[in-house]
Amino acid sequence: MSTPFAVDLIDIWKRFPGVVANAGATLQVKQGSIHAVLGENGAGKSTLMNVLAGMYRPDSGEIRIGGSQFWFRSPSDALAAGIGMVHQEFKLVPSFTVAENVVLGSADRIIRRSSIESQVEALAKQFGLNIDPARPVWQLSMGERQRVEILKTLWRNAQILIMDEPTAVLTPGEAEELGSVLREMANTGRSVIFISHKLHEVKEFSDEATVLREGKTVAASLRVEDTDTSKLAGLMVGSSPVTTDRPPDREHGPSLLEVRGLEALDDRYLSAVRDFNLDVHSGEIVGIAGVSGNGQRELAQAIAGLRPVKSGTITINGDDLTHALPVERFRAGLGYVPEDRLGVGLAPRLSVIENAILRNYKQLRQGPLLVEEKMSTYCEDIVNKFGVRTGPLNEPIAGLSGGNLQRLLVGRELSGEPKVLVAAQPTRGLDVQGVKAIQDLLVAERAAGVAVLLISEDLDELLTLSDRLLVMHSGKIVGEFDPVNAERQDIGAAMAGGAQG
Amino acid sequence: MGRLVLTRREQTLRGGQPLAFLIGIVTALSIGILLLVISGHDPMAVYERMFDSSVGSPKSWSLTLNRAVPLGLAGLAVAVAGSMGLWNIGAEGQILAGAMMAAWIARIGEGWPSPLLITVMLLAAISGGALLGLGPAIARAQIGVNEIITTLMLNEVALRLLQWLIHGPWKDPESKGFPLAPMLPGEARLPDLFERAHWGAVIALIVIALFGLVASKTAWGYELRVAGSSGETARFAGISLKRKIMTVLVLSGGIAGLAGGIELSGNADRIVEGVSGGYGFAGIIVAALALMRPSGVAAVALLFGAVQVGGLSIQTMGVSSSVSTILQALILFGAIGAGVFSRYTLKRVRKEQDSIKAEPNE
Repeated sequence: MSTPFAVDLIDIWKRFPGVVANAGATLQVKQGSIHAVLGENGAGKSTLMNVLAGMYRPDSGEIRIGGSQFWFRSPSDALAAGIGMVHQEFKLVPSFTVAENVVLGSADRIIRRSSIESQVEALAKQFGLNIDPARPVWQLSMGERQRVEILKTLWRNAQILIMDEPTAVLTPGEAEELGSVLREMANTGRSVIFISHKLHEVKEFSDEATVLREGKTVAASLRVEDTDTSKLAGLMVGSSPVTTDRPPDREHGPSLLEVRGLEALDDRYLSAVRDFNLDVHSGEIVGIAGVSGNGQRELAQAIAGLRPVKSGTITINGDDLTHALPVERFRAGLGYVPEDRLGVGLAPRLSVIENAILRNYKQLRQGPLLVEEKMSTYCEDIVNKFGVRTGPLNEPIAGLSGGNLQRLLVGRELSGEPKVLVAAQPTRGLDVQGVKAIQDLLVAERAAGVAVLLISEDLDELLTLSDRLLVMHSGKIVGEFDPVNAERQDIGAAMAGGAQG
Repeated sequence: MGRLVLTRREQTLRGGQPLAFLIGIVTALSIGILLLVISGHDPMAVYERMFDSSVGSPKSWSLTLNRAVPLGLAGLAVAVAGSMGLWNIGAEGQILAGAMMAAWIARIGEGWPSPLLITVMLLAAISGGALLGLGPAIARAQIGVNEIITTLMLNEVALRLLQWLIHGPWKDPESKGFPLAPMLPGEARLPDLFERAHWGAVIALIVIALFGLVASKTAWGYELRVAGSSGETARFAGISLKRKIMTVLVLSGGIAGLAGGIELSGNADRIVEGVSGGYGFAGIIVAALALMRPSGVAAVALLFGAVQVGGLSIQTMGVSSSVSTILQALILFGAIGAGVFSRYTLKRVRKEQDSIKAEPNE
């Protein structure tokens, strides 16, 4: 008899009201391997992983771990069976130290701090996780926090580790480090399942890949070595993969966004953007590249009016709006697609209509009343024009997929017919078609003469879309590149802090 | 065989709240039967009396309404703050503040025509409650002081102030040394609507309906929903969070103050310490049960009022006040507790699946 699979999910069905999230999905993971689970947003990846991790109970289907059938009532049941999951949103106590977070909930008696710290450190060393167990979590970067989450599962002796889009929050260097940690775990006989949108990472990190589409498994346990990324992309979308072509060159108009000598502070009141000068012209996309945490976020927020400017000026379409409110900037012709879609750009508990009118509701009034007809017409215009797939418009947006949320948000910002558009990570976390749709919108705005500032961590996107590419490091521009002729190594070197280009 | 496990529904059951409400009450009444039998009463007779005395006749309806008015307004006060995720625990004190302001107007407005006097009294009551809400509002909006603590502590301040007034400046010289305020003049009394019910019911209904309309139909109400959903999003949309917090907490205080004014003018002979009657705290329960919705507040306040009236009336047939209180608590608890089932469901777990690991196949 052959060795049983570490994880064997057989014919899993899971229905939510109005949606079949898993329609007979299967997954077989070999012990000691790294297995990628691929699929577009809404393909059922997260649902399937939540079934495996005990968060959801399947309507039908079998879960076999190491050949034995299991039935999980809760995540702790799954953990007892050796399954640990690292979610996209980390579940850590910020004021606790690394070691305290790692043992939290699994220490059944009071343990000396120094003893757990040395134990956690030993565990971290064993897997090559570089972290100081005595530091409080609030001081850590996202990459370090992820290591704490991984340590938590290792501490509980998980033999199967599920990682939900682990590289979304990481810098390229951190992602590589993560890859070697996962490999180390696989070498010690553990099995790793990781969800990703980034095909090159799948190619780099994993041994096998399973592709889900519309809740079903369309390709099971492909050997990654023998599969090229375009085939994987094809399986995900079910048709040939979409790639945005580089838009044709066009003449630039006058400068519409001018930033002069900008200084802005981060949440710790340290200077995050310094001596920053920028011009974005009509009909131009200026891309900003950089490792995350180098001031891109603060730059976007300062331009949008969500972060006070310490010194310098911001001029939009000729008006000095350095200290203007976000609404005043919107009226002056600034559209803003924030990095945090939910919680800044959109209000999750409110309906599609209520979110659609957020920027313009004052124009839909009659006396103190909001006119419902005008509201729904306004919303329908956005929904139709930008292809937002929604349920009833008066239902909360929480049920929308990431791609549709972003279409709604971008559509709303463009409905004000802006002169300047600032888009921060507009395609992050979206599926292939969502990325394509948003990129097309940016290109269309450029063609319409809008000045577009595109802040992204996806270098391919920046190279494809930008007319000029700026690299940010430590709050400053450290390099400017022509996206057509630039060498990736040079850009990489600039991102790492070397002033070139 | 198996066992039942409480499982969260992936989506809240539609229309589950009213249904759960009913089931909860029926369950509570069934448990109540046991309680009444043990304490030696005829359950059916007791329930009949509860029903008759609270909703069985126009007169009983009028009594229920009179209780529902302060409960509904206090509930609305809490719900107004709750719509932005704020907790006003100070409605009790704000009711007292409202009653004090109304009593003060009644003192200085001697000889005014009744409609004018009552109008000014109620406006003063609103401002009294609002004034008590103002401090916590400023503290919360400007420096982020938790409004739960400040509103709660101001209850005590309002009570002490009233005690001082009754024992001191407002003490009736003809009360033979008792710490009592003088009787209100007849012009200060709210006119009757029917039987025992006074016009406060109409005022309360109008206020609740008005807020419901404003909250759901106006741009202001929309801004409130955005601010309640996400502060950052509100800032992005140009909505001043500070101003919204201020408005909401002051408005909440004003509504509770109005309850105090109506209670004084409609139900009391003179201002006493007990004029707030615990309605401010009960209002928290009302608002929570109503899921912070104005329409729900009116319905829950009516139920709450009926339960209180019924609970009091059965004491006259020999049911002890403790049994009556337990019964009231059971009914309300049943209604609250059952609300859980619109979000959770019971699932039977089969025995063979009960243990984590089952039927190893190799």
